[in-house]
Amino acid sequence: MSSPMASLVEMSNIAKAFGGSIALKSVSLALTPGSVHALMGENGAGKSTLMKILAGVHQPDAGEIRIKGERVTFARPKDAIAAGISTVFQELSLLPNLTIAENMFLGREPTGWLGTVDYPTMNQLAERALSELGLSLDPRTLVADLTIAERQFVEIAHGIKADANVFILDEPTAALNAADVEKLNRQIRRLRDAGKAIVYISHRMDEIFSICDTVTVLKDGELVGTKPLAQMTPDRLIAMMVGRELKDLFPPRAAELGDTVLDIRDFRIDADAKPFSLSLRKGEIIALAGLEGQGQQKLLRALIGLFQPAAGTVSKGGTALPLPASAASGIRRLQAARIGFIPEDRKDEGLFLGLPVSHNITMALHAGRPSLALAKPYQREIAETLASLQVKSAGSEAPVASLSGGNQQKVLLGRYLAADMDVLLIEEPTRGVDIGAKSEIYKLLRRFTAKGGAAIVLSRETIELIGLCDRIYVMHANTLVGEMPAREATEHRILDAALVA
Amino acid sequence: MILADRTWQRLRRIPPSYLVFAALLLTLWVLRPHMMNPNILGIFIRQIVPLGILVLGQLLVMRVRSIDLSGGGVILLINYYISSGLFPGASMMTFIAMAIATGLIIGTFNGIMIAKRRVSAVIVTLAVSIVLVGFVQYLSSGKPPGDVPAMFAALYNTKLLGVPTPVLLWIALTLLMSLFLARTVFGRAVASVGENLTAAHFSGVAVERTVIVAHILAGLMAALAALVQTASIAVGSVRVGLDLPILAVAATILGGVVFGRGEGGVWGPFFGVLSFALLFILMTTLGVDEPGKLIIQGFIILLAAIFYGVRSAKP
Repeated sequence: MSSPMASLVEMSNIAKAFGGSIALKSVSLALTPGSVHALMGENGAGKSTLMKILAGVHQPDAGEIRIKGERVTFARPKDAIAAGISTVFQELSLLPNLTIAENMFLGREPTGWLGTVDYPTMNQLAERALSELGLSLDPRTLVADLTIAERQFVEIAHGIKADANVFILDEPTAALNAADVEKLNRQIRRLRDAGKAIVYISHRMDEIFSICDTVTVLKDGELVGTKPLAQMTPDRLIAMMVGRELKDLFPPRAAELGDTVLDIRDFRIDADAKPFSLSLRKGEIIALAGLEGQGQQKLLRALIGLFQPAAGTVSKGGTALPLPASAASGIRRLQAARIGFIPEDRKDEGLFLGLPVSHNITMALHAGRPSLALAKPYQREIAETLASLQVKSAGSEAPVASLSGGNQQKVLLGRYLAADMDVLLIEEPTRGVDIGAKSEIYKLLRRFTAKGGAAIVLSRETIELIGLCDRIYVMHANTLVGEMPAREATEHRILDAALVA
Repeated sequence: MILADRTWQRLRRIPPSYLVFAALLLTLWVLRPHMMNPNILGIFIRQIVPLGILVLGQLLVMRVRSIDLSGGGVILLINYYISSGLFPGASMMTFIAMAIATGLIIGTFNGIMIAKRRVSAVIVTLAVSIVLVGFVQYLSSGKPPGDVPAMFAALYNTKLLGVPTPVLLWIALTLLMSLFLARTVFGRAVASVGENLTAAHFSGVAVERTVIVAHILAGLMAALAALVQTASIAVGSVRVGLDLPILAVAATILGGVVFGRGEGGVWGPFFGVLSFALLFILMTTLGVDEPGKLIIQGFIILLAAIFYGVRSAKP
């Protein structure tokens, strides 16, 4: 690490608690000029809280911030901006009914001699800021008419054009494609060469390694360490983030595979997309990987009727499942064919939070029987499921809302395991659960496939897909662009496959 | 601390109707002890049976996050064709069959509109009620209301084991509804849809069908309520039963069943209805006249709505 004197920003021993929950415990971070500093950690590790403190959104409970050696306190975001700290947050904060220029100069519009907004000057300045980013957008365009990526860029332009010394980029590339990411990286390098300090938050390993020089890892609100990236490998970085070696996190892959259980043929997500085919064998877990929103979710949701594909056939064990599926009964028909669909959002789409664990586990079982039939108690199924999932709850009659996130996710999974499905379609197997529960969920899924089950998994975490699955399909632009055995896959190879196509 | 929390939680789950019922019973016992006579109470409770039956349908649709305000129109229509003399010589069984058919048809229409066409439940059922009321007024214009076949009144006045038959019918239907919701697959679907419609869909519940069936059963309950109401007044009327749906909503909320949540089960609303019965007795014996009753009734509905707001804010 560089000496404190050379630091542009020095945050030392920052602590912050929200109510009873501690978000940060004595975290220190030093930013040097001319450096791109990666801030990494799992969701909830405290990255955003730390950055919001630097941006003046939150005030620390303890610790101090020094800028160029001078102690500062930011009571509000304006103070941080005045001190030369510019932030591009992950959430889009543009107003859709204003133009690009109006958004960029909101609250500090150049005024003419009557005090009215000087639109020509404003548009000119906005155009210059955009062109510096290599964007040829008309500043008079309404933000509502931009694509998500363009909006992200305007947001970045908005942050970059302010005359700042420190830039915080919180997952700026989440909605960008490869070409746009490269455009952004050029800008970041330009800022770095101009002697600015940049904090870069991203979950994408390849981006971190291609653009950053230093990395600071947080875990559960504590500082794990700060290292030059030149000394790191992706595996070591992950080990730092999760606190253990990656190989310990995932159960062994399938030893042998059975017959094809699910066959998707000549599938076209929309009329412009290239058709593709894929298949799933007994005992196998396959991943649909690639950048976010490249058709992975559309494919799965097409099977349950929540998305209408342009063409394709699906068969399970030789029996055709008609497409397009109906939105009202698609899930029921899939469940009748013993295919379970596990939605990504367990709170809104998955669980009955106010109802008991037992109800949550048995509902798919009940749903397969006639309405007027007497409801079976399913006590054996409930007991077995809870035991095999090792759910920690105050009994099967406790409301699911009283469980921790990891245990809630297990209950959701348990619903489909109890219903004795052959195939599971899983959108996010471990969203928002801690590392211990993740590891247990991976083992559960492996146990399910070892008994003849099979699963298709989507995830925002590529590392999870590589570790958990047997085979990885890479999707891009609503079609399949690559396939590789998971044991040979790396984040880099997956990204390459996605972007070369 | 945790123990106190649990006790408080359990207390909060007690349907307010139990407390209201107990308080009203105590008040009546103190102020008018001579009214605490099973025969007198029986007569008053008998009058409230149509509301009690209507509530069984209301609590069902409210548990699947819908509402049914069409009961007023259904009751009026059934009352009309039984009392109008349009069907001379029709037997009581024919009338009962016609009433049930009417309830089922209107319930099905409501259900399909709400579940499949996604029209607002309040608007659909209110519009249906307005259409039915207008229809009856059109048919009956210029003609004096007729009498209800004597068989209805005769049956209405019977007692079994000292309890008025309509009250027994109400209790039996409530028991049936209670068992139906607690013991069948449909009951699980109702609980699921009420708690989280999307999650119900993703766990394989036929959400649309559940909502439609709930409305069909609510239509059936409205038809049964209409038969009892018609038997009780023994004449045709163009005003009968119009305030019942909103009272049914109030009694259901008082019974701890709010949109999507069914902590009061079936018996919470049952005691909600009984509370209304006691309130009417109390107001009558204290000499509150009709406008006064209307005002108090309105306030109770308002309170129930406020109570619903408080409860739903703290899930």
